Amino acid sequence: MYNLQHFEKYSKISGVWDEMYNEDSTIRAHYEKVIEYLSKESPDDLSKKEDLAKRLFMTQGITFTVYNSGEGIEKIFPFDIIPRIITSAEWAFVEKGIKQRLTALNLFLKDIYHNQFIIKDGIVPIDIIYSCPHFLREMYQLNVPYDIYVHIAGIDLIRDNDGTFYVLEDNLRTPSGVSYMLENREITKRLFPDLIPNCGVRSVIEYPSILYKNLMSLSPRQISNPTIVLLSPGIYNSAYFEHTTLARLMGVELVEGRDLVVSNHIVYMKTTTGLQQVDVIYRRVDDEFLDPLVFNPSSILGVAGIMGAYRKGNVAIVNAIGNGVADDKATYIYVPDMIRYYLNEEPLLKNVPTHRLSNKDEREYVFANIDKMVVKKTNESGGYGMLMGHAASEKEIEDYKREILKDPRNFIAQPTISLSAAPCYIQGSLQPRRIDLRPYALCGPDGIEIVPGGLTRVALKEGSLVVNSSQGGGSKDTWVLS
Amino acid sequence: MLSRVAASFYWLSRYIERSDGILRMLKINYNASQDSVQEFTWAPVLRIFSGHDEDLEAKLESNSRAVLKYMITDKTNPNSILTIITLARENARSVQEHIPKDLWQCLNEYYHTVKATNFDVRVKREDPIGLLDELIKQVMLYYGTAEITMERGQSRSFMNIGKYLERAIQSIDILDVKFGPINNNPNLLTDITYWKYLLLSIGGYELYLKTYRDGLEAQNVIEQVILNNDFPRSVIYSVNNIQRYFDRLRNNSNANTYREISFDIGKLQSNIKYSSVKSISEVGLHQFLTLVKDDLYNIGNSLNEYYFANS
Repeated sequence: MYNLQHFEKYSKISGVWDEMYNEDSTIRAHYEKVIEYLSKESPDDLSKKEDLAKRLFMTQGITFTVYNSGEGIEKIFPFDIIPRIITSAEWAFVEKGIKQRLTALNLFLKDIYHNQFIIKDGIVPIDIIYSCPHFLREMYQLNVPYDIYVHIAGIDLIRDNDGTFYVLEDNLRTPSGVSYMLENREITKRLFPDLIPNCGVRSVIEYPSILYKNLMSLSPRQISNPTIVLLSPGIYNSAYFEHTTLARLMGVELVEGRDLVVSNHIVYMKTTTGLQQVDVIYRRVDDEFLDPLVFNPSSILGVAGIMGAYRKGNVAIVNAIGNGVADDKATYIYVPDMIRYYLNEEPLLKNVPTHRLSNKDEREYVFANIDKMVVKKTNESGGYGMLMGHAASEKEIEDYKREILKDPRNFIAQPTISLSAAPCYIQGSLQPRRIDLRPYALCGPDGIEIVPGGLTRVALKEGSLVVNSSQGGGSKDTWVLS
Repeated sequence: MLSRVAASFYWLSRYIERSDGILRMLKINYNASQDSVQEFTWAPVLRIFSGHDEDLEAKLESNSRAVLKYMITDKTNPNSILTIITLARENARSVQEHIPKDLWQCLNEYYHTVKATNFDVRVKREDPIGLLDELIKQVMLYYGTAEITMERGQSRSFMNIGKYLERAIQSIDILDVKFGPINNNPNLLTDITYWKYLLLSIGGYELYLKTYRDGLEAQNVIEQVILNNDFPRSVIYSVNNIQRYFDRLRNNSNANTYREISFDIGKLQSNIKYSSVKSISEVGLHQFLTLVKDDLYNIGNSLNEYYFANS
């Protein structure tokens, strides 16, 4: 038994899966070594580590900039020093489940932009697809290399009160946060020397090289050194740090829309020696802004004519355009059916039960039980435009209901899932806070690879269930044990 | 190298060089303002850096603290140290993966020093010389770090072209502005303090004393600032360096555009090299300086068009 100062205040939240404690309040085996290590540290030492972490983030410029009245304010993404630990058995299951899901989603995207068998066979209703703003007719009958649409997926997982993993969201467009997975590990190495090898934590360091290998393999020109670029919206984007980090780690050029130009359906970058052909674009610019000739005509983030080059097969774009139709929250409901339909397998990872509000019966059920529901917009992410039924006021609920009735297709509702909790070091003691998990899956011609780890986001506010950084969330290093 | 990246290096360096020039000029002029032997005025400094705003000149010319505030922390002034270092840093940020971490941290520190919330108050209350020295030190730190950490490649060439182009333009501006009032007031031609402060503000006083034994004379000042190969702030020294670093881009360039700009630089270099104080006086100093400045601007424009892909 450990008798520790920092654990005194730790009181498990009842009815919530705790990553560290068993039901009977004994420590789970995979947390023991960390607890033993922490028991030798005084609260003072831990506070020092916390300060060190902050300083490391700041001096290394691992920041995002919030622009306010013309001035940039540099902020760090809050980081909790206590790692989140996943056992090798848990990971094996998660890994298998994500591979299965991603395989089906890639098949779905190919199908939906070609023959649409899944609609003809009545598995996915046609109105869901055609009413989705991210279903892009420009992609119809367009062949992408190796039939891979989703090269990088950040599938968000949560755990219910019995520890079961659920998929909360499939992020198949431009999932972000992977640089924090890498940086958090670097920082943790400094904070807890020797602990990582002692615990047998699996490494995440391979991520950039796997991604690079996949990008290389997509080059339309069969040459030994294709030009690969990372297309960023520029320094004012909040994820700019991530873009530079990935570009540096892969050794590819970081470009902005204004660096590229399309001539005769070939994409070039403007260099000091003239134009250089670009073969593969890892873009961190959303579909809508990618090509002003085809999508949003006022966008200056993209490149005029890039869609034409893409259609001709002269350039590979990662992730493919039009993926939004597959990670739309209304399509999400049908992912388990897709897995059965395309793979003839039972889904391993469960979906959170989801109600479509365009269906009258389901809508009435949701309205009657709104205090137990989370209502979301189908095409929003980042925790925006959400209604948490249990925490909202009468008026907020009424206003939101009116919104829903205006356009029910745009809303779904899910029962409030009580996210699992993990210990966090907050104000000098360990306290439980709710967490999720976003592993990053990379899909290339050789199959799907997932580095053992991911981003654990944590709702740092006491009692909060929202982990998004825009809503006061932070992150933790994520350990997968071997 | 990506055109945008090259442009960022070039501008990063121009901004830093400009901040260096401004800081030194402020320091020396402030010093002069404390020497109340003659009528001191900030007008020339303001003329160079405020874009010929006469109302502003009239309002500020005799108020040192107000000038310092305007030139250091005023956000509305496109040439204040704060604006310049912010722009320099934005340029560096957009090429972060191309510059050494040390250099990035240096810039960050310089930026945070000026940006600090109490800096405004310090400009008002503290000893300005000490404050300016603190900032000059940041610039020196930047130059030292750049010197020992930057890879000897294209990026450094673009940085140095920017640096020397900016420096040449500054020296020309200072000389031009200082010689302006002479037509109305020929007595200045023999006013020793007047020339002394000019030389001090571009760090050329000591060299002058070593070179010319016969006291301070306008002709000699012109010679040193334009034609002295060994004076690091002279126009010819700067143009020589533009030539030197541009030459290093030869192998990484499109042959035609390289030849065109190389020709322009060579022509300008020869023009200055084969000038003398006498020939300059024949053309007229103001006229001569204007022509040289136009040539420098042209070189900048050509770089912009051919290398930075902004036409």
